[in-house]
Amino acid sequence: MNAAKMIGHQSLWLARRLLSGVIVVWAAATFTFFVQFLMPGERAQIIFNANSGNVGEIPRDQLLAINAKYGFDQPVIVQYGRYIRDVMHGDLGQSYVQYQPVTDLIGRQIGPTIALAFAAVLTAWIITITTTVLFAGRDNIWSKALGGLQVFLATLPPYWLATILLVVFAIQLRLFPVVGGNTLMGLVLPTIALALEIYGFLGQAVLSEFTRVLDQPFITSSRMRGTGDLGIRLRHALRHAALPGITLSGWIIGKLLSGAVLIEAVFGRQGLGGVLVAATSTRDVPVVSGVILVSAALFVATSLFVDLTVQLIDPRMKEA
Amino acid sequence: MSKPAAVRSAFLLKSMNRRLKSHAAIIAIAMSGLTIADAVKAEDASAGKPKWGGIIRYGHFQEPPCLYGGWVQQWYLQRQFSDNLVARAEDGRILPWLATAWSVSDDRKTYIFQIKPDVKFTDGTPLDAQAVVDNINGWLSDNPELENPTAGPYLKGVFESAAAAGPLTLKITLKTPFEPLLNVFAQSSQGILSPTGLKRGKAVNCESPVGSGPFIVEKWNRGKNVIFRRNPNYNSAPATAKHQGPAYVEGIEWRFLADPTIRYGSLLSRESDVVYHIPAVNWQDANSRFKIVRHLTGGTPLRLALFSERPPFDDVRVRQAFAYASDRRAAVQAAFLGSLPYEGNFALSQSSPEYVGELSKSYSYDVEKANKLLDEAGWTVRDANGIRSKNGKALIIRITYTNAFSPPDGDQVLQIIQQQAKAAGFDVRLQPTNQADFWAGKNLGPNDYEIVPLYWVAPGAEIYRISYKPDLNGVRNPFNPSRYQDLPLWDIIQKAEQTADKEQRTAVYQQAERRIVENAPSLSYTVLDVTLALADNVKDIWLDSGSVGEPVFSDAYFTDKK
Repeated sequence: MNAAKMIGHQSLWLARRLLSGVIVVWAAATFTFFVQFLMPGERAQIIFNANSGNVGEIPRDQLLAINAKYGFDQPVIVQYGRYIRDVMHGDLGQSYVQYQPVTDLIGRQIGPTIALAFAAVLTAWIITITTTVLFAGRDNIWSKALGGLQVFLATLPPYWLATILLVVFAIQLRLFPVVGGNTLMGLVLPTIALALEIYGFLGQAVLSEFTRVLDQPFITSSRMRGTGDLGIRLRHALRHAALPGITLSGWIIGKLLSGAVLIEAVFGRQGLGGVLVAATSTRDVPVVSGVILVSAALFVATSLFVDLTVQLIDPRMKEA
Repeated sequence: MSKPAAVRSAFLLKSMNRRLKSHAAIIAIAMSGLTIADAVKAEDASAGKPKWGGIIRYGHFQEPPCLYGGWVQQWYLQRQFSDNLVARAEDGRILPWLATAWSVSDDRKTYIFQIKPDVKFTDGTPLDAQAVVDNINGWLSDNPELENPTAGPYLKGVFESAAAAGPLTLKITLKTPFEPLLNVFAQSSQGILSPTGLKRGKAVNCESPVGSGPFIVEKWNRGKNVIFRRNPNYNSAPATAKHQGPAYVEGIEWRFLADPTIRYGSLLSRESDVVYHIPAVNWQDANSRFKIVRHLTGGTPLRLALFSERPPFDDVRVRQAFAYASDRRAAVQAAFLGSLPYEGNFALSQSSPEYVGELSKSYSYDVEKANKLLDEAGWTVRDANGIRSKNGKALIIRITYTNAFSPPDGDQVLQIIQQQAKAAGFDVRLQPTNQADFWAGKNLGPNDYEIVPLYWVAPGAEIYRISYKPDLNGVRNPFNPSRYQDLPLWDIIQKAEQTADKEQRTAVYQQAERRIVENAPSLSYTVLDVTLALADNVKDIWLDSGSVGEPVFSDAYFTDKK
């Protein structure tokens, strides 16, 4: 394939991926918009009660005023059209309960969540690479135990692990702050709680591929050329074994966002998790939709990034 | 003020003075209030001089959507940045705050307040009579930006007008006498906010409300904390305060720590100086380690409202039978492990001045009595599981509840009652409903439940106006979920509200109290509490027991100044 043809092929691929990304985000927006109509109760009633902090029967005229204010009295299709138009202009609407634009609410909270997610992925990868390189494919008890440990960690509820870490290392031993906030020390326990579960899955994927690769002929020939065991593991086997793990990263983003909701709640951290929980418990639809839209966009962007990375690591994928 | 307005005000004042002179006693409470404050100050001085400085790190439970409003969680915050017209002492006496003195006309329908001079909101706006008028008119309007969901239900039916009769003279006129008026004004949700600030709209005010209180809202980091800093010019502390002038501490970091393990753990690890609400499992430990300050709120206790508009609870005997069939005292002990008291007075919480203690012993657990009452009510047939029925209809009791309106561990009380009531033939079914669905009215339609647990805090029996006002002239009382329609009770409540003499008023309110307990439109089990655990180096944090126990930090100080 010549260079021009290659670039054209790549551009087409990228355009196709971007288009499918837009469709995913649109589908998420549409789904969250329509699902609110399946929920029990009137939106105006929730808004009134959530704002007053009481539950009572509400005079009809007050409900009508709220309906008019938010445009709930318009046909559903008109509401949908207005919603999509606003989203396209980057306007995710106004929170029904918190009196703030959704973009502001999310913008202020996304930083700590991204920091936690990034730290958790990085930690999971560091543990994965370390344990795989050290123990995979060896005929000893550590190698056998590693697979079992990964299955155990993958099945461990992260909120349980988070609570145990908090009670033992922060409250009892006082090695870490209980109210960590956004400090580096405060990030350690939430990161471990989230990273260990991800490691459970990521480690298994990389371990199994790594073990398979170690039996490949090119590894044997490298050994025969005198390359040391560590060199083979780091330079050859890891490069191949990392691919399933990187491909898994798209799924990990989803896992991180759902996991962060629980972890942020346990550790009392700021973040999208807290926003989502608060918005869900007051059925603050614009905020819930906004968080889902942002999550979908992050998911799409990460998937694209992952595919580009895979192509970089394994040039054969460019042909695919 | 323009000249014509000033002339008009002077005229108004003159004519009011003439009217009031012949009848009303001018209540010069200001002096007595200051005497109390001075006495407290003297006591403090002997115990050691308060030190200046430091920031209180306070771990709170729930984060509201706005920093002020009708939810009691918002009152706690509002108490820090706003002042009220009057204060209410723990014994029920009304003491000066922004109003230094006031008088009431002989017909009890006109109140004249003298506003403290030289008080300013923290945005520089003068706090004068017109500022208070603007607040009150906003509370009672239909404008969602300004209306007050606490003041509205109390006052809309009795309020005529509020006017500035002079720069510092406020005149309030009622349609009918309403003696709890000053109690209502003393609650933190009626804190006076800057009219200039209010013009910015609710979205801005929710984030950065402006009052004249001891602290200024510096920043609200949603999901994390509210940063309050000291108001250096604070000169309007209530007569109930331990000192006048600015707060001793530089500020408060009001953290939202919803998880009880983290909240209590942060006190153990000294990352918090004060925390709210101790989990039941840590109650004993907290009492042995920390200083605990607590207020059991007045108003209605935590109660099960029984839907009395249709069978089976339209029959008072079935309501009473359910009360006898549930051992609520044992349920409270089992669920809260001694961290909350049992409350058996269905009408009123034990910290209310009108509380009749003996009523708390009513309806002690007695399955025999429950069975007898149910037999009399015609629920005589029992199926194989012991569940009663009448005319082919089973005695099913559905309880719709949400965690948002119940203390942590409150679910267990309902589960225990479910088991207990079965012995008398009740088939109790629990309908847990998440907060959003609850607010949306799920399981709360007229045919969807027989019981809903709830509370409404207040200093005392004035809460009856909200909880037991019947539907009148086609207007439903939205805050009466038991749908209990008792016109004679409403007459008693109104009579109490219009009785000027305190002792007589209390006696009339107690008539209502006995009537409510006798007719059992709701059953109580415990009360809402405000409980703080304090580190040993923090002193003089107190709860505003005259209101609903809002934490007060303006007198607090660190013994080892930070």
